[in-house]
Amino acid sequence: VLYMVAACKAVPISDLLDRASQRSDRLHSLSTMLTRELDSHFPPIGRMIMPRPAMCHTSSLQTPNDKEQALQVSESDLLSLARSLLRAWVDPLLVLSSSANTLPHPAQNSISNKIQELQEHSKNLGDGLNILSGKMGPAAQTMSLLPYRGGNDLGQDKISKLINFQFLLSCFRRDSHKIDSFLKVLRCRAAKMQPEMC
Amino acid sequence: SFVPHAEVTRYSLPGKPALTRCRSPEKETFTCWWEPGSDGGLPTTYALYYRKENSEMVYECPDYHTAGKNSCFFNKNDTSIWVNYNITVVASNALGSTFSDPVDIDVVYIVKPNPPEKVAVTVMEDKGWPFLRVSWEPPHKADTRSGWITLIYELRVKLEGENEWEMHLAGQQKMFNIFSLRSGGRYLVQVRCKPDHGFWSEWSSASHIKVPDYFHRERSVWIL
Repeated sequence: VLYMVAACKAVPISDLLDRASQRSDRLHSLSTMLTRELDSHFPPIGRMIMPRPAMCHTSSLQTPNDKEQALQVSESDLLSLARSLLRAWVDPLLVLSSSANTLPHPAQNSISNKIQELQEHSKNLGDGLNILSGKMGPAAQTMSLLPYRGGNDLGQDKISKLINFQFLLSCFRRDSHKIDSFLKVLRCRAAKMQPEMC
Repeated sequence: SFVPHAEVTRYSLPGKPALTRCRSPEKETFTCWWEPGSDGGLPTTYALYYRKENSEMVYECPDYHTAGKNSCFFNKNDTSIWVNYNITVVASNALGSTFSDPVDIDVVYIVKPNPPEKVAVTVMEDKGWPFLRVSWEPPHKADTRSGWITLIYELRVKLEGENEWEMHLAGQQKMFNIFSLRSGGRYLVQVRCKPDHGFWSEWSSASHIKVPDYFHRERSVWIL
């Protein structure tokens, strides 16, 4: 164990960020694949009555929304935004995972497997970001709490289940894109020594 | 009453316009294009309106000119990401207006970069065997240096006059070597790029290169 801790400490921040952004990249790609899979059998009414993105439980978190703003955010703040968003998805990913087992959808099996992969990747990414924040100092350790109050059940009937599932996933898709973008900006700032990476 | 009747059948409301495409080349600006509907026989004007998520304000297109006919260009100041734009096109003539179906877009999901630039192909030699070195630069609009956009590249190569392209994925590299060339062959090379999350660019325009006649040289050595 000591050896592993020592080995961990020896890994440069730029390498850790490179690994982290590979995971966040995969996380977002998975959520995109899932959205497409669900879309293939989505009730037409769903597009009319799906909740707006403002209803996402993470929408209260202030994040930059263009390049100029994003590039002005400090390293520690970018990391703490990414960690806050990731932390906010631990509970709702559990809800997605348990609902995926009984989702009334022809691709239920494949959807269920991908949700599981999503959970594993976000857990690993979360662990990696914790190590990173430890290396980056106290400012990177702060996190915003964004509690999920949607309950454990996505609805009784087939249509509500599908719509709420797709809605949660669309929130995750946006958040995972934010996480990925912040980490890739961080990766390039840390990689100043090897500019060919960016 | 005969004449007014003819007027009524000849003129009508404009046909329904359709928003056909929206694209951002670099995650910083974007453009939407529409197709006009059928002509109502009267001069018709088009306007694009949009509303951003979390706001009730309706804005008109800031720039109808930069991206050409039937388009609206949103510059850096008018472009936010991770925010849905609800966009509608309105066609109007003297008889009234017709609305397109509204379209919801988030700029991060419509990124398609311009093709790679400064594509250069040179013949190099390794122990007497020629190979092609292809190098290029990212499209100048894409800010890859800050990490705002990450691009991967793909090349395709073929002998002039043949149909089959040979594809090579280059990853994030901006250089690629191609081996196993036909002696004296004339090759075409093209490069394209894809952002981390988005669509492939078009192919760069073809670069032409001729491989020297190395085979005859090699064989003559053998005969000697």
